[in-house]
Amino acid sequence: MTTLWRKAIRDFWHERARTALVVLAIALGISAFAAVLSSYAILTRELDRGYLATNPASAVIRVDSIDDDLVNAILQNPEVSDAEPRRTISGQLKSGPVQWRNVMLFVVNDYGNIRVSKLVPEKGAWPPATGEILIERDAFQVAKASIGDAVIIKTANGVEQPLVISGSVHDVGQAQARMENIVYGYINLATLAQLGEDPYLNQLNILVAENRFDKDHIRRVVADVEEVIKSRGHEVRRTDIPTPGKHPHSDLTGILLLAMSSFGLFVLVLSGILVINLLTAMMASQVRQIGVMKAIGGTRWQIARIYFGQALFLGIAAVIVSVPLGILGSRALCRYMAMFLNFDINSFAVPLWVYLLVAVIGVAAPLIAAAYPVWSGTRAPVRVALSDFGLSQTTFGASAFDRALTRIGGTFSLIAFAIRNSFRRRARLALTLLTLAAGGLFFLSALNVRASMINTLDQLFGARKFDLTVSFVNSYEMEKIQRAINNTQGISKAEGWFATEASLEARRFNVVALPPDSQLQEFDIIEGRSLAPGDTDTIVVNNALASREPKMRAGETVMLRMGNAETTWRVVGVAREAFSPAVAYIPHSGMVNNLRLALDKSDPDAVSLVKADLDRNLEQEGVRARSSVSTADTRFAFDQHMLMIYVFLIVMSSIIGGVGGLGLMTTMSLNVFERRREMGVMRALGATPRIIWLMIVAEGVVIGVLSWTIAAILAWPISKAIGDFMVKIMFKSGLDFVFEPVGLLIWIAVSIGLSAAASFLPAWRASRVTVREALAYE
Amino acid sequence: MISLHQVSKSYETPAGKFSALRDIDLEIDRGEFVGVVGKSGSGKSTLLNMVAGIDRPSSGSVGVAGTAIHGLSENKLAVWRGRNVGFVFQFFQLLPTLTAAENVMLPMDFSKSFPFRERRKRALALLERVAVGAHADKLPATLSGGEQQRVAIARALANEPSLVLADEPTGNLDSVTATAILDLFRDMANQGTTVVIATHEADIARVIDRRIEISDGKIRPSSV
Ligand SMILES: Nc1ncnc2c1ncn2[C@@H]1O[C@H](COP(=O)(O)OP(=O)(O)O)[C@@H](O)[C@H]1O
Ligand SMILES: [Mg+2]
Repeated sequence: MTTLWRKAIRDFWHERARTALVVLAIALGISAFAAVLSSYAILTRELDRGYLATNPASAVIRVDSIDDDLVNAILQNPEVSDAEPRRTISGQLKSGPVQWRNVMLFVVNDYGNIRVSKLVPEKGAWPPATGEILIERDAFQVAKASIGDAVIIKTANGVEQPLVISGSVHDVGQAQARMENIVYGYINLATLAQLGEDPYLNQLNILVAENRFDKDHIRRVVADVEEVIKSRGHEVRRTDIPTPGKHPHSDLTGILLLAMSSFGLFVLVLSGILVINLLTAMMASQVRQIGVMKAIGGTRWQIARIYFGQALFLGIAAVIVSVPLGILGSRALCRYMAMFLNFDINSFAVPLWVYLLVAVIGVAAPLIAAAYPVWSGTRAPVRVALSDFGLSQTTFGASAFDRALTRIGGTFSLIAFAIRNSFRRRARLALTLLTLAAGGLFFLSALNVRASMINTLDQLFGARKFDLTVSFVNSYEMEKIQRAINNTQGISKAEGWFATEASLEARRFNVVALPPDSQLQEFDIIEGRSLAPGDTDTIVVNNALASREPKMRAGETVMLRMGNAETTWRVVGVAREAFSPAVAYIPHSGMVNNLRLALDKSDPDAVSLVKADLDRNLEQEGVRARSSVSTADTRFAFDQHMLMIYVFLIVMSSIIGGVGGLGLMTTMSLNVFERRREMGVMRALGATPRIIWLMIVAEGVVIGVLSWTIAAILAWPISKAIGDFMVKIMFKSGLDFVFEPVGLLIWIAVSIGLSAAASFLPAWRASRVTVREALAYE
Repeated sequence: MISLHQVSKSYETPAGKFSALRDIDLEIDRGEFVGVVGKSGSGKSTLLNMVAGIDRPSSGSVGVAGTAIHGLSENKLAVWRGRNVGFVFQFFQLLPTLTAAENVMLPMDFSKSFPFRERRKRALALLERVAVGAHADKLPATLSGGEQQRVAIARALANEPSLVLADEPTGNLDSVTATAILDLFRDMANQGTTVVIATHEADIARVIDRRIEISDGKIRPSSV
């Protein structure tokens, strides 16, 4: 090892505490990056592996009914490798005395021979015997039941049939039951008959033979299949072609991880700033040494290599520290995401390319950060480096700004002195403030985004004056339903609505017909007007529909297809509805197929009681309820999704805050180091160690408060941008922004605490230096 | 060995242009031991810096051992200096985190002048020669001023330079130590190395071959 390397290592060892700080800060950045990157690699691999292992259907075709002949005819097509009949039927499930929950029943004829969209048996029985039901593993919490329990199931026909939960399955292709707040159940055909339904299957899961990932190809094959179905006298009701080979949530996962990895990179950049600060200070303190080395024959590049070597060491040390940290982080993240997406991770193995990329970036980042300080630090010609002239130590007092600073406080005070001191190294101060302010910004954003999300949801749900929605299987006259309502206790207001679908130029959206003077739904009109009594052919669209269909503007007339009829409608207004799919509202007349109820009491127990009571009364009138959802449950599902964004932002701000704290610590230790002589003089003039200590902590706190000010000023626009961005990704919708003032208070407390803590150690070390040591220091 | 021709050096200062050297013509032969004397601020260091290629003349030419060094780039100068010039400073300027031996090895590492393995052996031999062999593995901070300057001299000799320049090498030493250090330079000159020492103390007449007196940036004609 040449003396150059020894110098590099020993200089670092000499300042090992500070070196460790910087390594730790870089390691934080790399760990965050490594965690996200490996999660991305693991999740995309495992998600697609798990999903593909189920042999997901290329297309799902719903028909009137299926018989063996039809299946055989379809299988004649060589392009079709498999066609498996199924049925999906919605109903309700009750495990306790009152609470009905929505259930989606999947009916399979032969559990021993599932070839498409496979289910994985988990615990208990397989296949389910007649009279038994299997529950999706994630849905047990929704069902509030466990294996061995008897539950009551009813479908639209109203027959209440007890079934025994005999086991659990894992259905990879379904969205998480808890998020959807629905129970997934699996039964056979005979059980379906017990539920009072005709035991037939009506859904074909088609698997194409080749080019399974080519959507156009699938579309062509499916068109052929539809022809076959029609030619045999069957009716095609609906065809769905999911994105081939992609788990339904895989895009969302990818985008989330992308957002996180850009955050990881951001933290890495911030920790690079520490390297800049550290090396700038080192280069400045070593000017003379650099001059000497040049004088005895060192070229600029040879000398620069010493300092690049140090940056390299920082990077390598940080990578070594952060690989295990990153792996731990990625496990946690993967587990969380896997739970969110309801799938299993077989292997947490991180592919080699992730390690390589992390190592390359981790080593390169400090080197890149070091480039400018090292290159400019080795620039000084020998004469300048060695002379007592030349090298202009930044002199305080030269600019108007400095002189303005000296006027702060008027007479000498500790704070005024601390403020002046903190401004002595402008570039270093700016970089330190940048990292600290970034932490503050993310923290304030997290609180603001959370407050805005709550506000937006409050607005959305505030416009819904109903507590309960009951959907019917068929359409009914309102009189019939009104009788049931009158017999039910606890309902304060009820309206019968009608929900259907319409299409504009073959693009489908939801249509809701409601009383034009509805007391249970308010509209936040952003263009035109709301529905008004006496309206017949008017339509109000929500912003999601308006932005999708440029023709849907107030004042326009549109032709809509509903069922088989084409009708003309006048768009009179656009209503804002956050987080909603495209919906058109029209004035209601005639039959109703769902009911909106405002209740006297809206706590969960009261709602369940009303639900149960109303169900009975409706049955007496011969009305079959398909599902009933309380507005509170819907809100709960939204809150769950929102929580993810919030948690993510909070984690982010604490990591950045950590980097910022380490940065401030580095800065303070550099400031103290460079001013040892000055402190010696102050001590010689009678300053006690306590004063020195206070002075340095005060300087740190000044920096903390400054960073808070910057964060506070930028918080509004930045949090709005972050919130809009994240909500756009997850919900394709905007936010009703509100500013959370409490955040400012919390963050000033955190800033002061963090900066006092970060300057504590350097201050303590400085106050212990004796006068003689401080003055002798060269 | 050294030839300066019409060398001038002026510095830009806030108060205007300041001439530190004016029209210097100077020839120094191989193996000569020359003392440059003058008051503080007279231009001694500036002159030495010109010869070492540490600073560039504003006008004129500097030739050392046949190389026109005023025309070399900073990096070429560094390489050239490493192989041909040994420099001794007033404040020793040892690198604080390297041991005495490592400080001596440093120029060899820069110039890659000796096989890697021989460098330490050579460094120890040099330290022995200046009588601080016992301190080879100590850090500079633990050495006295005289010991540090001895190490610095060993470092200056590391690459067997044909020219050794010393700027006030005894300025920070007591007189006994100073005498011992000057004797080391005398030995060097006796072995054929050209030595140029700048000092503001007049009592070096005992060791030097030739005395050049400088004041206000000009060489006193009598002294050459
Ligand atoms: N970088 C510089 N800028 C301005 N003036 C300088 C600079 N370096 C040296 N001087 C001036 O040049 C003169 C000669 O300096 P120097 O050669 O260091 O003198 P000596 O070594 O004899 O004491 C002095 O007056 C000094 O003030
Ligand atoms: Mg001088």
